[in-house]
Amino acid sequence: MSEATSQSEPPAKDLIGSYFLDLWLYTSKTLALKPETELKSEFEEEGEESPTALDTLNSSGGFSVVGPDKLSLLYPNANLHGHDVGVVQANRPAPLKRLLYYFEMYVKSAGAKGQISIGFTTSAFKLRRQPGWEANSYGYHGDDGLLYRGHGKGDPFGPTYTTGDTVGGGINYATQEFFFTKNGVVVGSVYKDVKGPVFPTVAVHSQNEEVTVNFGKDPFIFDLKAYEAEQRDKQQSKIDNVHIPQDASYGIIRSYLQHYGYEETLKLLDIAGKSTVPPVSVVPENSLNEKDGTYALNQRKTLRQLIKSGKIDETFSTLGNWYPQIVQDGTSTTCFLLHCQKFIELVRDGKLEEAIMYGRSEFDKFKKLSGFDDLVKDCAALLAYEQPSKSSVGYLLQESQRELVADAVNTMILSTNPNVKDANLCVHSCLERLIRQVTACFLEKRSLNGDQGEAFQLSRILNSGKKG
Amino acid sequence: MEGEIGLLEGLKWIKSLNYSQVIFEMDAKGVVDALDILEFGHIISECVDILSSEPYFQASSKKFITREEWEKRLSNIKVRKEDMNKLVMNFLVTEGYVEAAEKFRLESGTGLEFKNAWIPYWKIADIYLATITDRMAVKKAVQNGNVEDAIEKVNDLNPEILDTNPQLFFHLQQQRLIELIRHGKVEEALEFAQEELAPRGEENQGFLEELERTVALLAFEDVANCPIGELLDISQRLKTASEVNAAILISQSHEKDPKLPGLLKMLMWAQNQLGGKATYPRINNLSTAALEDPAV
Repeated sequence: MSEATSQSEPPAKDLIGSYFLDLWLYTSKTLALKPETELKSEFEEEGEESPTALDTLNSSGGFSVVGPDKLSLLYPNANLHGHDVGVVQANRPAPLKRLLYYFEMYVKSAGAKGQISIGFTTSAFKLRRQPGWEANSYGYHGDDGLLYRGHGKGDPFGPTYTTGDTVGGGINYATQEFFFTKNGVVVGSVYKDVKGPVFPTVAVHSQNEEVTVNFGKDPFIFDLKAYEAEQRDKQQSKIDNVHIPQDASYGIIRSYLQHYGYEETLKLLDIAGKSTVPPVSVVPENSLNEKDGTYALNQRKTLRQLIKSGKIDETFSTLGNWYPQIVQDGTSTTCFLLHCQKFIELVRDGKLEEAIMYGRSEFDKFKKLSGFDDLVKDCAALLAYEQPSKSSVGYLLQESQRELVADAVNTMILSTNPNVKDANLCVHSCLERLIRQVTACFLEKRSLNGDQGEAFQLSRILNSGKKG
Repeated sequence: MEGEIGLLEGLKWIKSLNYSQVIFEMDAKGVVDALDILEFGHIISECVDILSSEPYFQASSKKFITREEWEKRLSNIKVRKEDMNKLVMNFLVTEGYVEAAEKFRLESGTGLEFKNAWIPYWKIADIYLATITDRMAVKKAVQNGNVEDAIEKVNDLNPEILDTNPQLFFHLQQQRLIELIRHGKVEEALEFAQEELAPRGEENQGFLEELERTVALLAFEDVANCPIGELLDISQRLKTASEVNAAILISQSHEKDPKLPGLLKMLMWAQNQLGGKATYPRINNLSTAALEDPAV
């Protein structure tokens, strides 16, 4: 933080300012890399890699042959005993941070005895035995339809399978079970009593047995998406039984509108709320929370409108009139954000020369702000492109950037309320705090569960177009 | 050392008080685990002695997360403003606050969801917002007891809704009957019941029972206080209004419930689930979203 700023700004402003700078930096790093991203695959965000092929590095005895595409397996010779199984694991263990994992095996030929199997094993598994014959391994065998889970005797499980059948093996992290399918139908499931990563595994054992494996490159025979939806529904029905206060949602929406200064919407909502049947219980006009919530509401609305329409000069002069303390220090973060936005607006209007002049005269004094370099670089980069909105810094031209600046100014004004003790409360709305809490709970729960299972994803909730 | 000594003192004290069923929650997992392994020194073995002599004593371990640690985690979680705006818009639209939704569209630049896709705000045609207004008009009509009017409006909106929803149609007709009875129009009510509702009753046992129940209202002098008086209550209208609102939403490929209440329930559920394994700051008041320190 610059020496100049720390002398003239009270600590609260530093906190707020640096929060928004951090947010911009975060956006810059995540959005700037993939300008076209609207809906990133949630699995990408988790950063886990999935199995893609059969492993050819680890094998013992070489009793079976993996095809050149690494997705097929053949047992060429006759087997002699129980320790020459042609068993192969996938090249990576099954990823953990999701609800389900699944893969399939197609039996091209059951060969002499159809001693094929599909299952899951750990890295310690002896690669000469059928999955399920050793501890910490599970296997659904085609010749007898039994499920083996750790010793030589299997349990009755499902039908046998042979040439032409497709069987699948899956993990359900929510119920901690392995499940298996045959030709698109669930055969059964069994409790997953093994800790740590497990590898999808297939095995062949009698002469001329041949199988191919699908780790997701091709569509599955089994309708995994439908199964996933079913599992989510089961969990959802438990959640639906939770009781929450009657008008909790309405109150949270109100406080959101107050917090960010959406005054007109709030007025209309209040009017509508009084005339619903039964009328929504509205907060009493003079309660303390209400007063704090509506502090400077009209002014915050006005300033948000100015910023969202790109009128930065007017924003500066209006702030100078109403809240001089926010802009009197020309080197504060708020001023930095506003000056950058002015620069961006000039570029948007095609006034490149003016933008350069502006940048040269204004940016220098913010040198000492942390993150300054990266952010100014992003702004300046806009000048390099003929079509800046399609570049890696195109995010600056989107509404979300104006929104960020508007939110920052909004928070600064809220912090001028003498009743406010904790500046942090001005930064996050009630809704945001609730969303953070549920995200944190899911993450901790998952971490205590060996990092298995999915995290809370707001985007998934928003995009789940489930028909009632 | 502190863990074991603390546990030992605790055990001795509780034993002296003669409590029989006690669970000791400890945040020192190492100590708890050690209780299973008898080589860990004489303090542990004393604990084990007491524990094994008292049949109902148990020890469990729960992770303890401080306020500071929890707040640090929270601060690492980023929530997108656009996503929150979408949640708000979804609430306003589904609950039918048309004017507020329209104003929010302008004030926040948030789009609308239509047929499972998000439409940016500059593409929204007024025609879409009109469908919300129409839906609200139907809902209001039922809430005010103007069922004939409501049925007409629903058919104007989309004639398929009532065609594909026999249960809804029956409930609307039932409400009409209730309104006739409420206004003391006995003859008209009976005629209506016989001509419109009885044929439905023949098709469906459930409808027949409901019909009989409703007609039974006519048998009572003091209708308001009879055993089936609840049919005359406004809650009956509200139930039917909700049903028709949901049917319209579904016909427009929209979910019938806003997402926010579900999210709140998920929060409470997740907190309870985590509470079984860890002690951490919770949010108990949804309106203030204030963190409450874990009980020490």
